[in-house]
Amino acid sequence: MTNAAARNDDAPPAPQPAPVSGARLVVEALEREGVTHIFGYPGGAIMPVYDALPGSSLTHILVRHEQAAAFAADAYGRVTGRPGVCLATSGPGATNLVTGIANAYMDSVPMVAITGQVATYLMGTDAFQEIDTFAITLPIVKHSYVIRDTADIPRIFAEAFEIARSGRPGPVLIDLPKDITILTASPGPVTLPARAEPLLDEPAIAKANALIARSRQPILYFGGGVGIARAEAALRNFAARSRIPSVATLRGLGAIPTDTPSHLGMLGMHGTRGANVAIDNCDLLICVGARFDDRVTGKLDTFAPNAKVIHLDGDPAEIGKLRRPEVALAGDLTTILDALTACPDASQPWRDQCAAQKQLWAPAYDAPGNGVYAPAMLKALSERAGDKAIFTCDVGQHQMWVAQHCRFTRPQAHLTSAGLGAMGYGVPAGIGALIAEPDATVITVSGDGSIMMNIHELATLRRYRLPLKIVLLDNSQLGMVRQWQELFFEENFSEIDLSDNPDFAEVARSFGIEAFTIDHRTQVDGAIDRLLATSGPVLCHVRIDPRENVWPLVPPNSSNIQMLETRW
Amino acid sequence: MTSQQVTIRFAPGEGAIGRIVTLVERRGFVLRGLAMHEEGDAASMTLDLVPRDASRRLDVLDLQLKRLIGVSAVTIPSGSVQ
Repeated sequence: MTNAAARNDDAPPAPQPAPVSGARLVVEALEREGVTHIFGYPGGAIMPVYDALPGSSLTHILVRHEQAAAFAADAYGRVTGRPGVCLATSGPGATNLVTGIANAYMDSVPMVAITGQVATYLMGTDAFQEIDTFAITLPIVKHSYVIRDTADIPRIFAEAFEIARSGRPGPVLIDLPKDITILTASPGPVTLPARAEPLLDEPAIAKANALIARSRQPILYFGGGVGIARAEAALRNFAARSRIPSVATLRGLGAIPTDTPSHLGMLGMHGTRGANVAIDNCDLLICVGARFDDRVTGKLDTFAPNAKVIHLDGDPAEIGKLRRPEVALAGDLTTILDALTACPDASQPWRDQCAAQKQLWAPAYDAPGNGVYAPAMLKALSERAGDKAIFTCDVGQHQMWVAQHCRFTRPQAHLTSAGLGAMGYGVPAGIGALIAEPDATVITVSGDGSIMMNIHELATLRRYRLPLKIVLLDNSQLGMVRQWQELFFEENFSEIDLSDNPDFAEVARSFGIEAFTIDHRTQVDGAIDRLLATSGPVLCHVRIDPRENVWPLVPPNSSNIQMLETRW
Repeated sequence: MTSQQVTIRFAPGEGAIGRIVTLVERRGFVLRGLAMHEEGDAASMTLDLVPRDASRRLDVLDLQLKRLIGVSAVTIPSGSVQ
């Protein structure tokens, strides 16, 4: 018998996959993860990956600056719950991603950021476009990798996506040296170990239910963790059966629809007085997916001073970080909320008190004058846009007006740079939201300071015919900085003047985008009609009163009930 | 303030040490000493830390370290946790 015949009698060996390039393995790994879109910008070290993109099932969205790629991927991750993917080259490509990665880290957004790197034999030699991306991003990623062996690509990509989306989501960086993407390998299939789900802490649940049952003035304080965990339904059920009034953080808005009668609105620095007064008077604070952020609590030791605290969070490390709770409940929020079955005893007077405060301090929209009053315009726009709307914001006064005056019925409808507070987020986030949910009515509200940080993305809107509706509130200055200088720096106005702004409508038109300007309140209804009726990208440039401030406002290092407010 | 010891057991991958040390310093602790050894596929690091102010708590740091991918255990001697 020949050797060949002997082999035929045995079980056939498993077929060895043909060697393929690292770049091809990257594309295959992305396809295996179900990725459909990636946001990026090509350059030297990442060129082999770009070479492998044509013919794949991946759609690449070419932005005009890498920061926009990261912001768009962030928004995609927020809307879908799946990691958004951004791609850039080494050196400046990678450093331009950094703000967007930090944004995803601060707001716990699932993201996989892929950066090119110089070849492994050049790493550490200060080669052209070499920068230590891994080290630069170390404090702002959930995890990160430098791939040193082409055969590791499938495993590392599988791990990266699992880490990015599991538990408390976050960005994962994969740094890809150029030679690794050129060399070939034939790695086998990847199997990741199963993840253990945390068990429900029954004694803690019992203690929480006892506290709820005994409370007379409870408040439900919820944040972005609810949307991250997709626990909105459980939160709404809990709120409905317990009849506990609720307040939301900036990132929590929409987890309970903002027009729910027992919902008191946003709390904190620019929160409603009704929400902050309720927190001040409550005897039990049920914190769900929130983290006692300084913009929420004001002076920490004055926050909910008479309350016992039950803290629910998907991330155990957030519990007790700033306020030690009487009951800590870490794990799956839906499971925990469903187990909280107690109802507070005799709390009707408290509910009445909360409702009365809400009504008493409800915002007024009848500002004097003929100019456009931005809060009124945003309120009308959000009501007209309906439940299919997604608002993306930049950072500043307009961001707070959106949070205060727009109506949200789901957390994915409000995309805002909450933790990092990154100006320039709005338009790229609008791009990501439209790719994630093409049927949505996506509206970006921006300011004249913020929009200039990523104005070039109007070209991306034009290229892909993305029907983003941009409302640009223009007060010809850095309004929030001006407001703080007015209130807390003795009106020493320093470097806030933007009166030499370009004509934004002309700028938009030069990018091939429909645009128009309004400056009178009689034009608002028509502007909203036009915004909502336009099928392509459109920019509405709104000139507003430069003296307008965001109210109410809790001064820094103050208790939340020391709110400043003006009424006309 | 006196220094306190934290022992961290972790998988010794690329960047693992930097990730731990970066976190400890960023969360408000001064690193006064570091000892490390490897045990097969795992490594162990003992840090001598001094909190920068009274609000920095080891029990919080403990949870933040455990959140790192690749960290399998954190040991803080009893009595060290405020």
